[in-house]
Amino acid sequence: MDSTQALKAIGSCLALAMERGLGKNGLVFPVECKDAADDTCRNFCKNLEQIFAQMNETYRFAEALANGELKTEVSRSNIFAMPLKALQASLRHLTWQTNQVADGDLSQQVDFLGEFSLSFNHMIASLRDKESLEQRLKTITDVLGEGVYLVDTEGRLIFANPEAERLLGYSFQEMAGKMVFNTIHKQFADGTFFPPEGTQLVSAIHNGQVYNNDDCVFACKSGRLMPVSLACRPVITGGKLEGTVIAFHDITEQKKYQESLQTINALLEKQASTDALTGIYNRLEFSKLLTLEISRARRYQSSMTIIMFDIDKFKEINDAYGHQTGDSVLIDMARVVNANVRTTDIFARWGGEEFMVIAPGCALDQGIQLAEMLRLRVAQTTFSVPREVTASFGVAALRRDDTEISLTNRVDHALYQAKANGRNRVEAEDADA
Amino acid sequence: MKNTYDFSWKDLGDLAEGRPNLGSETSVTVYRLMQFTFKDIFSKELGREKTCELFVKAGLLAGREFCRNVLNPALPFDEFVADLKTKLIDFKVGVLRVEQADLENLHFVLTVSEDLDCSGLPIFGETVCDYDEGFIAGIFKEYTGKDFTAKEVDCWATGDRTCRFEVKPIKV
Ligand SMILES: [Zn+2]
Repeated sequence: MDSTQALKAIGSCLALAMERGLGKNGLVFPVECKDAADDTCRNFCKNLEQIFAQMNETYRFAEALANGELKTEVSRSNIFAMPLKALQASLRHLTWQTNQVADGDLSQQVDFLGEFSLSFNHMIASLRDKESLEQRLKTITDVLGEGVYLVDTEGRLIFANPEAERLLGYSFQEMAGKMVFNTIHKQFADGTFFPPEGTQLVSAIHNGQVYNNDDCVFACKSGRLMPVSLACRPVITGGKLEGTVIAFHDITEQKKYQESLQTINALLEKQASTDALTGIYNRLEFSKLLTLEISRARRYQSSMTIIMFDIDKFKEINDAYGHQTGDSVLIDMARVVNANVRTTDIFARWGGEEFMVIAPGCALDQGIQLAEMLRLRVAQTTFSVPREVTASFGVAALRRDDTEISLTNRVDHALYQAKANGRNRVEAEDADA
Repeated sequence: MKNTYDFSWKDLGDLAEGRPNLGSETSVTVYRLMQFTFKDIFSKELGREKTCELFVKAGLLAGREFCRNVLNPALPFDEFVADLKTKLIDFKVGVLRVEQADLENLHFVLTVSEDLDCSGLPIFGETVCDYDEGFIAGIFKEYTGKDFTAKEVDCWATGDRTCRFEVKPIKV
């Protein structure tokens, strides 16, 4: 085969390849080198055959790389494959780097790979930003004086901050993945367990609702039920409910304070309405109750009587035995009368040695009977003074056109009559006057 | 004169003072000229094998000193590698890339492209980066406290565009 024949054969082989591509078998060298006519032609053919072989190998190598087969090998002497080997090395390195990043190593940088380096390094910078943001958030939840839990939509715990761990005594490890409904949120404040349909908190978690509760309890690891105030907010990412953040704090002290406040208020109210010496209603409270009882009597068209009484010659007792003795006579008087009025009757100190009784439902004659009974009991009682103690009573019944003042004036007048008529007696208003 | 010499980092001198105009860098040609002429003379005096062995030993010493004086061996592995990579670029030694890092068995595959010793060399058919092998092993020895071998499995001089080193601890 002379040079011209060889060139023709090679030429048509190349033309076919240019037209159809390399195909499954690649470039097949069309000349048997040993048949070449002379040395020059033979050497040329040998070199070209090698180049054909290297190109075929390079093609297959490039194909493998394109398919991501990074372990593929290529012969060392292949001069066409050299830049592809550099590419292979870069891809292997990038594979490793990507895994490193996935494992949290953000020190990775890509150098000298043009646009790819820029993109990769940009990605790392964004991840670092995100990490520092996360770190900041973590620091915030770490120092927050508020317990913070994050639960998924089922109510499984996925995060707890140190304050939450401290408050309830459960470490995050103990609680991770557990349902909060089986652990910290299962009982009412009185210790009874929730009904199967759960609570508002449960449904807030399931449905991703905003929910606040200032009067809830969480169970501590110790079993103690801690009163808490809590706030729930859904965590929504990309329009999808991811879970709920529950922020809470211990309100034990607040509760105690509230309770003591209630006690103090009740005490103050009682003080404002009672007479400090005798413990019965004072004049202010009597006036309120009188108004109330008058309107009640009018509404039900029932009768009502009031009795006013006064300790006879009380000034003499005070002058002869001192104020302390006088006070103890007042106390005893209140006790005697209190023990003898009905539970529905209202008994008050009007001022000085004067007292008032409201007897709802009593007509005038019943009121007179009550006053007479009280007068007798007082006269029979032995007081802590070495002399007889008696009282004078006035009685008046509610009339259609009465005001508190007109009624009080009439009973006061009746009492005056009792005094004027010799004391230790009952006088009623003039029913016909 | 003492019969032996002990290297000390200080012996590298104060370049700011010594080379106020030319600075701390030199040309790769000069670096290679020195290395390859050493190789020429040593091999004729001591044989190829002994020469390679000595180059590896010298590289090992260089790697340890480099780690001690330029790197921070106290860093965790990821950060250490990142730092090493940056420093090798800063000192224009080469572009280090990790392909595999098995921290449990301390088995690593690294590549160095644009290597100072061999990049752009004609293809000799054999790896030439003996000094680099020692250098890398030295850095790992200094960092982990264990003896390492670094074997150059691919080299520019064998037809690869990048030098690839397999780094393993020496089993005792
Ligand atoms: Zn090399």
